[in-house]
Amino acid sequence: MDDKQLRRLKDLEIPQPGARAQRRARDAGLVAFAQAGEKRASRPQGLGGVRRLMTTFLQTSGEWIMEKRVIVGAAAASLLIVPFAATVLLQQPGAPLIGLPAPGEKEAPKLESAPTVKPKAETGERLAAAPKKRDEPAGRIDGQISGGQVAQERKVKAPGNLALDVSREAAPSAVPATPPPAMKSLARRPRSDRAGPVRPAPAQANRDKFEARDANPVKSAVEHPVSTFSIDVDTASYAFVRRMLSQGRLPPKDAVRVEEMINYFGYDYPAPENAETPFRTSVALYPAPWNANTRLLHVGIKGYDIADAKRPPANLVFLIDVSGSMQSADKLPLLKSALRLLVSRLGDEDTISIVTYAGSAGTVLEPTPGTDKRKILAALDRLRSGGSTAGAQGIRQAYSLARAAFKKNGVNRIILASDGDFNVGITDRNELKSYVERQRKDGVSLSVLGFGQGNYNDALMQTLAQNGNGNAAYIDTLREAEKVLVQQSSGTLFTIAKDVKIQIEFNPARVSEYRLIGYETRRLKRADFNNDRVDAGEIGAGHTVTAIYEITPAGSAGGMIDALRYQRPAAAARGAAQSDEYAFLKLRYKLANETKSRLITIPVTEKMARDDIAGISADMRFAASVAAFGQKLRGSPQLADFSYGEIAKLAASSRGKDPFGYRGEFLSLVRLAEALDPAPAKE
Amino acid sequence: MRDVSQQHLIEQAAGGDATAFARLVEQNYSLIFRVAYKWSANRQDAEDIAQDVCIKLGGAIRGFDGRARFSSWLYRITLNAARDHRRSRQRHDRKTADLGVIAQQSHEPDVLDRIAAAQVWSLVDRLPEKQRDAVLLVYGEALTHGQAGEIIECSEKTVSWHIHEAKKKLKRLANG
Repeated sequence: MDDKQLRRLKDLEIPQPGARAQRRARDAGLVAFAQAGEKRASRPQGLGGVRRLMTTFLQTSGEWIMEKRVIVGAAAASLLIVPFAATVLLQQPGAPLIGLPAPGEKEAPKLESAPTVKPKAETGERLAAAPKKRDEPAGRIDGQISGGQVAQERKVKAPGNLALDVSREAAPSAVPATPPPAMKSLARRPRSDRAGPVRPAPAQANRDKFEARDANPVKSAVEHPVSTFSIDVDTASYAFVRRMLSQGRLPPKDAVRVEEMINYFGYDYPAPENAETPFRTSVALYPAPWNANTRLLHVGIKGYDIADAKRPPANLVFLIDVSGSMQSADKLPLLKSALRLLVSRLGDEDTISIVTYAGSAGTVLEPTPGTDKRKILAALDRLRSGGSTAGAQGIRQAYSLARAAFKKNGVNRIILASDGDFNVGITDRNELKSYVERQRKDGVSLSVLGFGQGNYNDALMQTLAQNGNGNAAYIDTLREAEKVLVQQSSGTLFTIAKDVKIQIEFNPARVSEYRLIGYETRRLKRADFNNDRVDAGEIGAGHTVTAIYEITPAGSAGGMIDALRYQRPAAAARGAAQSDEYAFLKLRYKLANETKSRLITIPVTEKMARDDIAGISADMRFAASVAAFGQKLRGSPQLADFSYGEIAKLAASSRGKDPFGYRGEFLSLVRLAEALDPAPAKE
Repeated sequence: MRDVSQQHLIEQAAGGDATAFARLVEQNYSLIFRVAYKWSANRQDAEDIAQDVCIKLGGAIRGFDGRARFSSWLYRITLNAARDHRRSRQRHDRKTADLGVIAQQSHEPDVLDRIAAAQVWSLVDRLPEKQRDAVLLVYGEALTHGQAGEIIECSEKTVSWHIHEAKKKLKRLANG
């Protein structure tokens, strides 16, 4: 290592600090400043007095400190105003800074920056299945003044796997490919290593903030005949629930979003025949498993699967960074989940290989046909992060595998996945550059997938693309990962329809009450349905989306709401209401590249109804069991008399082929929840 | 000019003027952040460290000894904060690996240059603390050995020795 190389350190690019972080830092400084001033003022002269007193306190009474921490925690909310007050004052240059509120004498400097968006936290090494986005939770500082400086700050950092889903708040329709810088980084949460009680203790509930949403209420079809919502293909909640349960805790109620649990699973609804109709809708009406007097109106949507139809064979070599830093949930585990998804789409003409570097270096998987899923999945399971030895031959090995499995008319690609450790084995940059370029000319391209918290990967992606060395993408969600991987293996566009909205008008003559299960955060106003400027969810190739209503047929005993004495179903006189239609289903969507929406309408008729749940497809039954489980976890009154055991039975009877074991896993989660639920099981 | 106003701000802040303190922080934040970033190579950590530094400044500015150089003092606080941060992080086993493959401000974006810089950084990161500080100050911040000594509170000679040792060690690391 010589001077020339060392001087490269100057070239280390420094990102722009976030404006918000800067303000927060300044405000934190101001609080400390004000506090120090106060300490000083309350002292007769120079050093001594209060400061020394405080030191004594700190030294002699550990208990006191503990207590104070608790008090400080409780007082956090009131202190929130401090930084903001300072901000307001300082935003007007020249304005005299007056009235900067100083925290009380007894409290340590304390600052809590409030989250601007209500984040939903997502933790978990398996979380991966989760679309997630970072935002800023409360940053927290405890500081104690002593000895001329702030002697002690305690900042509790979020574990790297913390992730927050703000997608629905920020952009209901889609997770943007790359989050805006302001929404990134900054994920700071107290880390809790303590083993929790069965129900999350307040501390944990505090750590993982969820937007509290009441379940959709039961509505009278006479008074509110129309229900409108956006579809949702997020699955974050399921991953979170899974993580909590496997840690031996019941998830907090607000962490359970039933629609995300349902949509975590794919269902074999009939697919559309061509890309002209981007998706096909399956509707069924069947008795609710948990209530003899109600029925479920099941709407299943299946997106057209472009990728399967016409895709050149792919020869993919994954060159994966397995250094210790890759172990956080948003890195290697996320990549592994994404690869599992990818594997499910590979055919017998595709091959996949895996080489690791930076940890244990070497070939993990020789080029293997996509159909040998067992072997591929086993190799994925063996991937572990750890160690920090620089891998020697990583990149050369990857290229030699790529050449060994070269597909003349296919996609030949090295996919480098890393969180920033690019010690791929060639240290000389010119050598690396010419090596990559040479290989590219020979038909093997290089893509980079960036993982982790920083947003430099995004910039790296742009630059790489510009430099022509390949594609790159920043991966922060599984959806993003899947999208990117599928794109890179097939070159096809992933989104097939966007802004997909559903509106259902119930016929009060047939339906007295209804309730949408889940989708609380996706409600739309009635008028939003026809407003093309209102965002909604998107559907990807091959995706399935499921929405389920629980309805009470007119005249059934299961009604929750008394009939009105003076109102008659207004529509009863009209012709349509006399028909056997239960409801009229409308779907609006835009094709991926269009701005004007299209409309699909489907009357829900007696023909779609089944008298027995056994009469519907196993996949629909399975979805119903997931819906039941989600509601049960949320403590829905509707599910009070339906036991976990019954849910498990329903799920077990509809498990189907379950090639990847997802449904089997679901079953074990139901049993876990049963064991954890303090309420006596009703059988 | 800027130094004069900076000096003025420091004096005002030391005298208890919060507006002056806020300005002082604003003026110096980019330096703090830059140094924090060079020591952590991770944006989030750098922001955390910078915040720590601001808090320390708030607590300590009144006691700032006007005879010392403010920038050296600021460097020192930042280095200390970075070190504390690193230690608290190590407990959580979170390696600083979001290396500086940063391309936001580059006029001539060359990823490979940045990769090279990041590779050097990742080796330097494995040096013992003193050597690492010395190397980053001298090569990363382009300071003289004397200036670096002022910051890490040792003699110029000691800095030179740290650099010498660092190079030996780096050679071993690079070949190992």
